[in-house]
Amino acid sequence: MNAPLATSGRGLQQQFELSIGCVPLRLQISDSQLLGAASRRYAAFTDVHEHPIAIALNDAALPEREPTDFGCEFEGAVLRAFSSGIRFDGVKNQYALDSLLRIFLSWKLLEYQGFLLHAATVIRNGKAYIFTGRSGAGKSTVATLSPQGSVLTDEISLLRREQAVWRAYGTPFWGEFKAAGSNSSAPVAGIFRLLQAAENRVVPIRPMAILRTLLPNVLFFSAEAEANRQLLEIISRAATELDGYNLSFRKNATFWEVLPA
Amino acid sequence: MSTPASVTWQKNPALAWREIDDETVIISPNDSVMHELNDTGSFLWKNIDGKKSAAELAELLAENYQVTPDMALSDTQALLEEMSSRKLVVTVAATGAVSP
Repeated sequence: MNAPLATSGRGLQQQFELSIGCVPLRLQISDSQLLGAASRRYAAFTDVHEHPIAIALNDAALPEREPTDFGCEFEGAVLRAFSSGIRFDGVKNQYALDSLLRIFLSWKLLEYQGFLLHAATVIRNGKAYIFTGRSGAGKSTVATLSPQGSVLTDEISLLRREQAVWRAYGTPFWGEFKAAGSNSSAPVAGIFRLLQAAENRVVPIRPMAILRTLLPNVLFFSAEAEANRQLLEIISRAATELDGYNLSFRKNATFWEVLPA
Repeated sequence: MSTPASVTWQKNPALAWREIDDETVIISPNDSVMHELNDTGSFLWKNIDGKKSAAELAELLAENYQVTPDMALSDTQALLEEMSSRKLVVTVAATGAVSP
């Protein structure tokens, strides 16, 4: 439902609905330039869901006196989550909107038993292979070496536990591909910690090592203790329920040969 | 300066932690730093409850691991001091008040 809609007397406000990792969002935007940019940027993520979470952009009229459930500032743009609604203020461009959306999702996903992870995700035989590691470890290389159309994202993966199954979703957030990820999902085959090496080799790792691999690569911006406890519980659950591996790989497509089916 | 063995300790309430494979991961949300404890460290961490002193914790350690009481006390005090310096644990005064 991306048709423009006049909703208030403060000027023409339009809305744009999108869904990232099956988290439905409705952006309420007065700035037509920003709306146009968002419409283009998230065009592949416009699934319609019931009861989207409304996010008011640069709307000075909403009440501010109530306490925030979560707040964060990024380069002058401010995210505030009230019980009555979500506000993004000071959003001057698409880059700022993209950043606040990532921050908001990282927090909101706690309710969905999910999290955002710096990782490339590639679909193979209907399963999602999650490749993570420090910056420069080879996430984009893995994505580049994977068959066209199989890459869910080369930058930020979204993992969710749904009915006792972990699924990986693509996100619209850019990596070196400079292209939005794919708006689809698949059950997770495993977490692969990337290590560049002269030979391809895959070694299973224990849950604690998986946790160690995941934690530094999780996107999370809340300093609130309870939110961090919830996050750690979700990540620990992923670490104990998912298979994890150290993947030593050469910078060519032959690494797929050593991956578990 | 070492803390008297009779002082009781508690976990910093601002932290998040989780035990996996007999090891413990502790996250400090304010600075996003991750700390890890091995199995004996995890054992002590589990028993830090705001009521036990270093001496009482060391006694438990000696009962459950093959270490002498002196060694257990020395190791326990060293770990508590280390964790205290990283703001993972705090002492509890006789009044019940927590001090950093």
